[in-house]
Amino acid sequence: MFENIDPKELKYVGKGLKRIDGIEKATGDALYVSDMFLHGMLHAKVKASPFASARIKKIDTSRAEKLPGVRAILTGADLNYRVGLYIVDKYILAKDIVRHQGEAVAAVAADTEEIAKAAVDLIEVEYEELEPVLDPLKAIQTDAPLVHPDLGKYSYVEAAFTPVPGTNIANHTKLRKGDIEKGFKEADYIFEREYSNPSVQHVPMETHVSIAQWQAGDKITIWSSAQSPFTVRNLFCYSFGISHKNVRVIVPYVGGGFGGKAGIALEPLVACLSKKAGGKPVKLQATREEEFNLLACRSALVYKIKTGVKKDGKIIAQRMEMFWDSGAYADYAVNVTRASGYSAAGPYEIPNAWLDAYTIYTNKVYGTAYRGFGHVEFFWGLERHMDYIADKLKIDPLKFRLINTLKPGSRTITGELIHENSGNVSKCLETVAKAINYGVKTKEEEKREKQNKTIISKAVCALHKAPAMPPFTGTVVIIKMNEDGSVIANLALTDYGAGTYTSIAQIIAEQLRIPFEKVKIAFECDTDRDPYDWQTVASKGLMLSGNAAILACKDMLEKMYDMAAQILRANPCDLRHNDEKVYIVHDPHKFVRYREMAVGYAYSNGNGIGGPLVGVGRYTACGLTNLDKETGQGNPALDWTYGAHGVVIEIDPETGEFSVIHSASAFDAGKVINAAAARGQCVGGFIQGLGTAICEGYIYNSKGQLMNPSFTDNKIPTAKDIPEKMEVFFVETPQLDGPYGARGIGEHSMISVAPAIGNALKNALGIELLRMPIRSEDVWRELSKKRKAK
Amino acid sequence: MKTITFTVNGQKYTREVEEHKTLLRFLREDISLTGTKEGCGAGECGACTVLLNSKPVNACLVLAVEIDGKEVITIEGIAQDGKLSPLQEAFERHHAIQCGFCTPGMIISAHSLLQRNPNPKREDIQEAIEGNFCRCTGYLQIIEAIEDAAEQLKPKKSKKR
Amino acid sequence: MQFGFTYHRPASVIELCELLNRYGAKCKILAGGTDLIVDIRAGLKKYDYIVDIKNIPELNELSFSKQKGLSIGAAVTCSQLIEDSTAQKKYHLLCECAETIASYPLRNRATIVGNIVNASPCADTAPGLLCLDAQVLIKSSSGEKTIALKDFFEGVKKVKLAPNEFVSKIIVPPASAEAKGAYMKLKRIKGHDLSLVSVAMAVIKKNIIRVAIASAAPTPVILPDFSKNTKVDEIINVALKTVKPIDDIRSSKDYRLHMIGVYIKRLYEQLIK
Repeated sequence: MFENIDPKELKYVGKGLKRIDGIEKATGDALYVSDMFLHGMLHAKVKASPFASARIKKIDTSRAEKLPGVRAILTGADLNYRVGLYIVDKYILAKDIVRHQGEAVAAVAADTEEIAKAAVDLIEVEYEELEPVLDPLKAIQTDAPLVHPDLGKYSYVEAAFTPVPGTNIANHTKLRKGDIEKGFKEADYIFEREYSNPSVQHVPMETHVSIAQWQAGDKITIWSSAQSPFTVRNLFCYSFGISHKNVRVIVPYVGGGFGGKAGIALEPLVACLSKKAGGKPVKLQATREEEFNLLACRSALVYKIKTGVKKDGKIIAQRMEMFWDSGAYADYAVNVTRASGYSAAGPYEIPNAWLDAYTIYTNKVYGTAYRGFGHVEFFWGLERHMDYIADKLKIDPLKFRLINTLKPGSRTITGELIHENSGNVSKCLETVAKAINYGVKTKEEEKREKQNKTIISKAVCALHKAPAMPPFTGTVVIIKMNEDGSVIANLALTDYGAGTYTSIAQIIAEQLRIPFEKVKIAFECDTDRDPYDWQTVASKGLMLSGNAAILACKDMLEKMYDMAAQILRANPCDLRHNDEKVYIVHDPHKFVRYREMAVGYAYSNGNGIGGPLVGVGRYTACGLTNLDKETGQGNPALDWTYGAHGVVIEIDPETGEFSVIHSASAFDAGKVINAAAARGQCVGGFIQGLGTAICEGYIYNSKGQLMNPSFTDNKIPTAKDIPEKMEVFFVETPQLDGPYGARGIGEHSMISVAPAIGNALKNALGIELLRMPIRSEDVWRELSKKRKAK
Repeated sequence: MKTITFTVNGQKYTREVEEHKTLLRFLREDISLTGTKEGCGAGECGACTVLLNSKPVNACLVLAVEIDGKEVITIEGIAQDGKLSPLQEAFERHHAIQCGFCTPGMIISAHSLLQRNPNPKREDIQEAIEGNFCRCTGYLQIIEAIEDAAEQLKPKKSKKR
Repeated sequence: MQFGFTYHRPASVIELCELLNRYGAKCKILAGGTDLIVDIRAGLKKYDYIVDIKNIPELNELSFSKQKGLSIGAAVTCSQLIEDSTAQKKYHLLCECAETIASYPLRNRATIVGNIVNASPCADTAPGLLCLDAQVLIKSSSGEKTIALKDFFEGVKKVKLAPNEFVSKIIVPPASAEAKGAYMKLKRIKGHDLSLVSVAMAVIKKNIIRVAIASAAPTPVILPDFSKNTKVDEIINVALKTVKPIDDIRSSKDYRLHMIGVYIKRLYEQLIK
């Protein structure tokens, strides 16, 4: 929906306007599900498995049942429902078998949280501990115990996934382009290495929380801290066989999601507790500890890359193997595998590519979507690998990248043709390189090294990502005009922090030519009242819902023009709109105000025409296809957002401690709708990426028990951990089907932060870190090894 | 149960409270002030920061019975007469808010900093809010908002001088 | 209800002693609560009685005299100490240690005595207090006694304290006043974190070097006094022989040992060279 409008003519689009939800969030007035206390509401707690793998021999709830105030107890035996988005593999409560430590085996609803907790403690579970499957590479060997012996019976989205029954492989994604063997034969050099990273927790500040009320006649209301109300409803109805019209999902303000609140989570369990408790509302909020191991995390990855290059630095062949450790369930992780698979070579042209990506069941906390959707994980390996090759070829790593970046005329590994408007990764790389004075050390930096007895080092890394979503994903925006000419928009895309609503409000104000302050986006999403949206994920919200908003405005304007044509006795084609008025183009003093038409126009004698104004805009992704299951060829990408990070790090070579002192990030956003919000996404993502790079990650003991399910031992960056200087740049190559040319940027800022740091460490110290997070201890250890080897 | 008398946001209360109840839950459940959030329940994240006798504390680690005779200020007590404080306005202006869940605690910490130190350096701001986790913003725009608010709050130079 | 506890808020030491005598191990003293409430919430500890000592005037005292040194009552918070100009001037090392504890809101509640009585191997004030030769004043209904802090720690989270006793104050002697000192602490991030390993060094009366180390043994460790002309390598040698760090998820034993050496070297350069 790009129109070549001179930015000077844009009143709201492109400006850093205030967030529309700023006031209620700054005052504490914004109501989140965790803040909701309904009349007669019960509180739920779950009983978690202490074992990573065990058979449930017996659950005795009799003592808990006797506790006064206990209203409902459920165990796996009571619930015969499986839930899942892409592969339906998870029972609501563990049934017979527990597959990860922290998995819920029973749940209680009681008058108070304390009673529920006490009742949970009184439930006695007898387990037969089984040998857990913990290493994904061992899990795919033929003799490995099966985490899901029934894999062959599960339903799944057949167009996109390939489970391998009788193994622990929940999905095998393949991609074949060109002739890989020929490519390697033609290569002058071949470089092969393996990179890995652990599972990571999203850490939304509001932990998962749901309230549900299951009333007579299967009429169900769910309030949930969720990203996607309609997907909660759809998966819920699918599992229970209940009509969609009976289930109402309400999502108010959401305290962060980062992918962790995509799909469905606690809602089915809470609803079942409500049903058992006779229809009283039941609330369940995960504790911070449960957020780590009852809810899902980001999958761990082992990424093997083998690359063939010519002497001149051109990559000619690349074989990629991804081993995704999705933990106990693969409901969502299979799609992380698929989306990473078609994106696995990064923003580079690879003529001959071969990829096998596996989603592997193990007895660990299960994986789901997480900001970047696999890209943070595999770009760690890929961008470390690019520097590794450049180093061996003795070509500057930036130059090596620029030789291989996708350019107009290039084809991606799925065969998609890149054109002038696909975005410009080279420009992003060059922008950040310039910002950090790449390739040189400034005088100040030299002085600082001397003063602090440190080493300063630099690196740049590239990144890309396209939304991972069904190819036919669509959305709707409805706008309604109020009596005063202000407008309220309804949509079921949620805004759990990204600021998309503010951008959409700007688009509506721009289209209708009304003051920005006159646009409201209704914050509470309600599946009974709002039009459909699939999910708020994938950095597709601004593009799809932004387009739908434009179409909604056009629809409303058409209705206004029809009305105004009658009122003004003019041809609709001679009408224009501005300043809350529709006027005659060649006679601008003849006009009718929006507010006069808002609820239908009334003539002075009382006659009415038109009726209340609404605008409906529907938009569906255009031209996307399923990928061929054998070759991975097709068109998966709504848009490719390219970007790059440059980092300047300071290292204490004696201790291994290091910090990013300057970061520069650039993204080809197509068109920035709200500069302040866009910058917030990029800075926030960089710091989340920094956490992944330096301090976050699940640590398991040999029995598969999670050792760090808390902020005590899973640190996240604080205000003291940010670089002294952070710069964000936007390249604007308009996306022809994006609103005003815009692309999504929500996830991208988090990708490739870790490899930039890893590469800078390599540049300064000559150490090769292949696993993240990179702790100061790891740097020290590699350095010690290197010193000893000398 | 214990009976306690205390002030919240200038309002005086006398209430019966269960002795094991934390101030955080008491404020949210008994006084219906849900602006103060629970992020971890263990004093690590700062989402529950309130002022207790004008000092920021983690309400999740204070028992409600301990506030007997004391004064509490929560996020609901920062805006006056429905008007945002200059600090809150700066948060809004600078996009120092994303999901908003850390915002109340963050604003309480920043509010207290500006009371203690009207001219904070960047390091002072980082020190004052290091106990307030924010997963969305990456902190930079929060720091900028606090710097801006400090500037706004400075007494304007009198022309007479 | 079965999961609660009874809360007491004595107004005097006599009342406190009575409660401790009556309830013994069933009760626990609440000062800052920054460890206790976390443990109770996590279900790690359960007590029938909680005794809040913050209302006892004598335990809120923070005072300095040339004869007695610095006296830190059991209810004195980290922030009170840090914001006390006399403490900053006379016992800078201790304040520096306290400043590294958690975050500002936490330091507004957490007490110095609590940091010691909790007896975590990573207690940040312990190395400073050990270097400054701090004494612990223990009281009970049958009287009071003073023991050296280094003899107070018994093991991980264990101190020499009977159920009817409590620590009334920590006394930092006048002999340690004005000691030059500094504290170095290894963390996983720059923001608030527990010590993975940390070292305090002080120069007492301008001729004794004292070094104490946290997170490197079941209790914080103090090394024997060194004379001022001791070579740094010798101090490091003694340190590495004295500590017994472990491998855990926060750090490896090797790295802890390495960082002890680095910190001693750096502190020595800063304070002595």
